[in-house]
Amino acid sequence: MPKVKMPRSTPSLDMTPMVDLAFLLVTFFMLTSSFRSPEPVFVDPPASTTEKEIPKQVFLVTIDETGRVFIDITNAAVKEKVLRDMMVDYKVGLSEEEIKKFIGSGPLGMRLVELPSFLAQEAEKRAKIAEAAAGVPYDTANKIRSCELYNWVLKSRLVADNDFKMREAAAQEKNQSFDKDNYMQFVVKAAKDTRYETVKNVIDVLREARVSKFQMITGLEAKPE
Amino acid sequence: MAEIQGGGDSQGKGGKKRAKKQSTRVDMTPLVDLAFLLLTFFVLTSTFSKPKVLRMIFPEKIEDIPNIKKPEVKDAVTILVSGENRIFYYTGQISNTTAITEIDYTKDGLRKLLKEKNFQLLTELKKLQVKLNETDEKDTAAVNKIDREVKKLQKESKLVVLVKNDDKATYKNIIDVMDEFMITQVAKYFVTDDGFNAIEKKLVAQIPPKKQ
Repeated sequence: MPKVKMPRSTPSLDMTPMVDLAFLLVTFFMLTSSFRSPEPVFVDPPASTTEKEIPKQVFLVTIDETGRVFIDITNAAVKEKVLRDMMVDYKVGLSEEEIKKFIGSGPLGMRLVELPSFLAQEAEKRAKIAEAAAGVPYDTANKIRSCELYNWVLKSRLVADNDFKMREAAAQEKNQSFDKDNYMQFVVKAAKDTRYETVKNVIDVLREARVSKFQMITGLEAKPE
Repeated sequence: MAEIQGGGDSQGKGGKKRAKKQSTRVDMTPLVDLAFLLLTFFVLTSTFSKPKVLRMIFPEKIEDIPNIKKPEVKDAVTILVSGENRIFYYTGQISNTTAITEIDYTKDGLRKLLKEKNFQLLTELKKLQVKLNETDEKDTAAVNKIDREVKKLQKESKLVVLVKNDDKATYKNIIDVMDEFMITQVAKYFVTDDGFNAIEKKLVAQIPPKKQ
């Protein structure tokens, strides 16, 4: 019997659809994803069944397990103004370049006097220092109005209010529609194991600055039934 | 293309030397590699869902509001939140003979309790929810009417829940309790800052911790 000769053909696969699919998915993820903002500390918030999403403009107060407080303002213009106000009050000098650096550097967790030396460091070192920082100092007793956190909050609230009014006036002038919900809201993100008393003390500082509505960041949990 | 190099192409047969037919196909394997690399990167780095928020409203500092009335509480349920995920409750005023019961955060614990206590409001709200589902969404007058009824019911709700915590309670405990209030639609609840009073402390201390 003669051997059956198999035709020698190279197994080939048309990969075009696969490439199409892969790029489609890449595009999808690129467009839908929002990147994690840089965080000096990882904070794991408790879960709840609420479906309300985080507001666009926030003043974020992060509290970790040990009670360190980090603050961040998402609106860059407000953040800059608040920093300038704070610099005057605490007599801290920063160059224009350093101010720009600060705005892009994510949450702040240190005393204002430490800021110039911190911003002078290189980016890699900064991340490490931010991680080990002691947090924005706050007081609970009678000195509540002289603590740094109080001043940050108070100034931010005033600047943000001003900013909101200005945007509203500008929109009215141009007869544009104005998003009334797009104002800065105070958001608290605390770790699961933070003692409630610590959270309460921080909130008391904010209440002293006449902030009484808070959004507490929580993870998502399925609704029962 | 992704093909295994076969080696023996049809060459050398016959004398005529033909110009080799150049394949117009492009090898796409590296492209696929790249695409999937990017895909993996975006999948892993993206935060898929935006974080959710739980709204909390705290009263303004008391010195700002003159003549503030303290909430009058007669048949309130008081929830005591303590450390090590322990949680207790009692009804009415506290006295040395009040029965304090330990419950837990599971759905048969706190949620069941709140559902039972809030049964009246829950059933009424459910009825309204059914009504709301039946009405046309565009009929704003009807929707608003139902909305008003919901608000009225919530305002007239008899159940008042007080939450007290001692210094050992964690943030998670309080959020969990808040969340249970939302699930069981408790309309009136207060979180007090005062901590446990002496009698509560004593009674809670008498309850032995549950064996795991």
